[in-house]
Amino acid sequence: MNLLDIIKSANHNLFRSKTRTFLTILAIFIGSFTIILNSAINAGVNSYIDSQVENIGGDDYIEIAPTALYDQLSSMMSSDSEVKEYKPDKNSGETAYITNEDLAKIREIDGIKKITPYHNVTAEYIESNLNDKKFSVLFRIFADSSLHADMLTGTQPSSDDNKPEIMLNPSYVEALGFSSAEDAVGKTVKFGIKQTAKCYITPDNCIATTEATITGVQANGVLSTGNMLGINQALSDDIYDLMTVDTPDNIKDRTMFATGTIDPDKIDNIRSELKKLGYTVTTIKDEVGLIRTFFDVILVVFNIFGVIALLAAAIGIINTLFMSVQERTREIGLEKALGMSKGKIFLSFSIEAILLGFWGSVVGIIFSMIIGYIGNTIAHNSFLADFPTFNLVKFDPLTMLTIVLVIMLIAFLAGTLPARKASKKNPIDALRYE
Amino acid sequence: MNVVIETKGLKKTYGKKSSAFHALKGIDLKIYEGESVAIVGKSGSGKSTLMHLLALLDTPTSGKVYIDGKNTTDMSNKQLNSLRSDRFGFVFQQFFMNPNDTVYENVMLPLKIAKTKYSERRKKVENALKIVDLSSKAKNKATDLSGGQKQRVCIARAIVNNPEIIFADEPTGNLDSATGDKITDLLFDLNHNHGVTLVLVTHDEDLAKLCNRIIRIADGKIIDDYAVKKSEQTSAEKRHEKVAAEVKAKNEEKKK
Ligand SMILES: Nc1ncnc2c1ncn2[C@@H]1O[C@H](COP(=O)(O)OP(=O)(O)OP(=O)(O)O)[C@@H](O)[C@H]1O
Ligand SMILES: [Mg+2]
Repeated sequence: MNLLDIIKSANHNLFRSKTRTFLTILAIFIGSFTIILNSAINAGVNSYIDSQVENIGGDDYIEIAPTALYDQLSSMMSSDSEVKEYKPDKNSGETAYITNEDLAKIREIDGIKKITPYHNVTAEYIESNLNDKKFSVLFRIFADSSLHADMLTGTQPSSDDNKPEIMLNPSYVEALGFSSAEDAVGKTVKFGIKQTAKCYITPDNCIATTEATITGVQANGVLSTGNMLGINQALSDDIYDLMTVDTPDNIKDRTMFATGTIDPDKIDNIRSELKKLGYTVTTIKDEVGLIRTFFDVILVVFNIFGVIALLAAAIGIINTLFMSVQERTREIGLEKALGMSKGKIFLSFSIEAILLGFWGSVVGIIFSMIIGYIGNTIAHNSFLADFPTFNLVKFDPLTMLTIVLVIMLIAFLAGTLPARKASKKNPIDALRYE
Repeated sequence: MNVVIETKGLKKTYGKKSSAFHALKGIDLKIYEGESVAIVGKSGSGKSTLMHLLALLDTPTSGKVYIDGKNTTDMSNKQLNSLRSDRFGFVFQQFFMNPNDTVYENVMLPLKIAKTKYSERRKKVENALKIVDLSSKAKNKATDLSGGQKQRVCIARAIVNNPEIIFADEPTGNLDSATGDKITDLLFDLNHNHGVTLVLVTHDEDLAKLCNRIIRIADGKIIDDYAVKKSEQTSAEKRHEKVAAEVKAKNEEKKK
C-alpha cells in the first residue's frame, strides 16, 4: 500500500465505529481546548503587557529604595509575633530615608547616569480658568525621557525642559472644561499646594498655587488609569518647593525613593553595588515581571489541567485502538496474508492514532477560537471598553501549529502500543480468529 | 515443466511438549507450473496446514519450501510479502471479507497492497468482477451478498492481480452444487486458458478428479499422489460441463 492508501483507509477505519471515535476525539478535544485557549490567553495578556511596557519604555529606568523600607513593610505584614531586641545601629523605629549624601554615593556607582530624589508630591486640586470647578489629582513623575507614554494627542511632559509641564488623562479634558483633547494642548492649569509647615500655624491660609502647561493627553491603558497625571521634574520640583516652605533642610532633602537612568548593560553590577549600600533596585521589568508571574501561575495551573486531560485522552486512544485491533484481527490477518508488510500495518494504526490527535486538536482550535472571539467581544463591550487594542485572547498560528503537532505526537506515541500488537499478528492465527 | 513449489521434509507441530500436535509429519512434493493439484483428505488431516505452508503464510517447524528453486527461509520478509502480493492468489476456507466495505473495495484490496497504479486499479477490479459475474453488485456492501456471491467475490479478489498460482481452500465447500460448479468452472478456465497453477484443498472427490493430480494426505503424511486418468477426468468434466451449460443457459435467459 502506498501512503495515500494507508491514510485513506486509516481515516475510513477511524469512522467505522463512530461513537467510540467521537468519544476519544472528545477526550482529546477537552485537553487540547484547555491548552489552546490557555496559550491564547497567555499570548493576549503577554502581548498587552509587552505593548504597555513599550509605552512606559525604559530599559534604563530604575527606582531605588532603602532595603530597610522593604524589611519594615514585610515585618508589618508578617504574622511573626517575635519581639526583637533593640540594637542602636540596627532596626530603628524610624522610616529609612535616602539623604543627599547617600545620593552622592549612589551617583558614583559605575553605570548610573542620573539619580533624582523622588518626592511624593501632592496637590490639593487642579483647576483651569475655563470653569470654577476644582478636581483632586495624583501625580506620576516622568523624570526621564526614556519613559514613553501612549499619547492620544500632543507630547508627554519633557524631562529636559525647565518649564513645568503636565499631561492630562481623557477624563480630565472634559472636567476641566476643554472642548477637546487637542484644545487642551498648550493651555495652562493651576494647582493648589498645601504648604505643610505653614498649615501647622495658619491652617486656613496655607494653600499656594503654581501653574503648568499641558503638553498632551494620554491614551487610556492599564498602566495609565485613574486620576494619576504625568508631570515633569520641573513641575515636581516647583510643587515640592511649595510643599516644603519653612521646612528644615535635613527633612526637605531626604526622600524614600529615588529614580534614575542607567546603562542597562550594567544593571547586574548596579544592583549588587546598591545592595551593598543597603538599597533595593526595581526596574520596569521587575514590576512587569510581577504582573506576568501572577498570570503565569494561573495559566500553569490551567495547563496542568489540560495536560492531565490529554494524558487521560492518550489512554483513551490506547484503549480505542486496542479494541480496534481486536475487532479487526481477521482483517489484519487477511492484509498480511495478501502480502502487506508489518511496517505498513504499524503505520496504518499509527496514522489512525495521529488522526485522532489531529481531529481532537483541530476541533479544540476551532472551539477555542469561537470562545476566544466571544470572550474578546464581551470584554471589549465591558471591562476592556477603554482598551480597544487589547485582545484578551490572541491566537498565534505558529503556537497553534506547534500544539497540534505535539498532540499528534502524543497520539502517535499512545498508538504505538496497539499498532505494535497489530503488526506482530501472525496472519494464520489472525485468520483462524473467530 | 518447471517446478514452481517444492517442499523437503516439511513438518509442522502445534503446541509444545506434552500438548504438542504433529499436524504435518514430513511432506516432500513438487508442484509444476500450469498444474492443477487437489489436496484431499479427511477433516483434520492437515490439508489447510499444508496449503498455508505452500503459500508461505506460515513457517514450518522444520523442513523447507522452495519457490522457483529458491529457498524461502533465505528470503527477507519484504521478498516474501511481494511474492504473495504479486504472484499468489488466495481463496480461504472462510470468506474473510471486510464486511463494511463494498464488493468493489474488497476486490481492490490486493491491488492496494501490491501498489498497483491508480489508473489500472479500476479496470482490473471491473474485469475480475465481470469474470465472476458480479459487476452489478460492485457498489453493494459485502455483508449484503448471498453465500455463493460472497465466494465469488473471494474468487474475484484472488484473481484480480493476475496471479501465477491460486491457492484455494475448499472453494466450493459451503455452496450448493450449481454455484459450486460455477466457481469450479471459473478456476479451471484460468488454469486451462491462462496457465494459472491451481492448488485446491477439497474433500469433494468430484472436484478433485477435475485436477491433473491428486495428493491424498492422512494424519499429516502423503499417502497417495497420482495423476488423474483422462477417463476419470472426462467423466467428471462431462458431469461438470452439463451443469455449467445449464447455468449458462439460465444466465442467458436472465439477460434477455
Ligand atoms: N493453531 C493450531 N494450534 C493447534 N492445533 C492446530 C492449529 N491449527 C491446526 N491445528 C490442528 O492441526 C490439524 C490439521 O489442521 P488443518 O486445519 O490443516 O486440517 P484440515 O485438513 O484443513 O481440516 P478441514 O478439512 O476440517 O479443514 C488439526 O487436528 C487441527 O486441530
Ligand atoms: Mg482446512
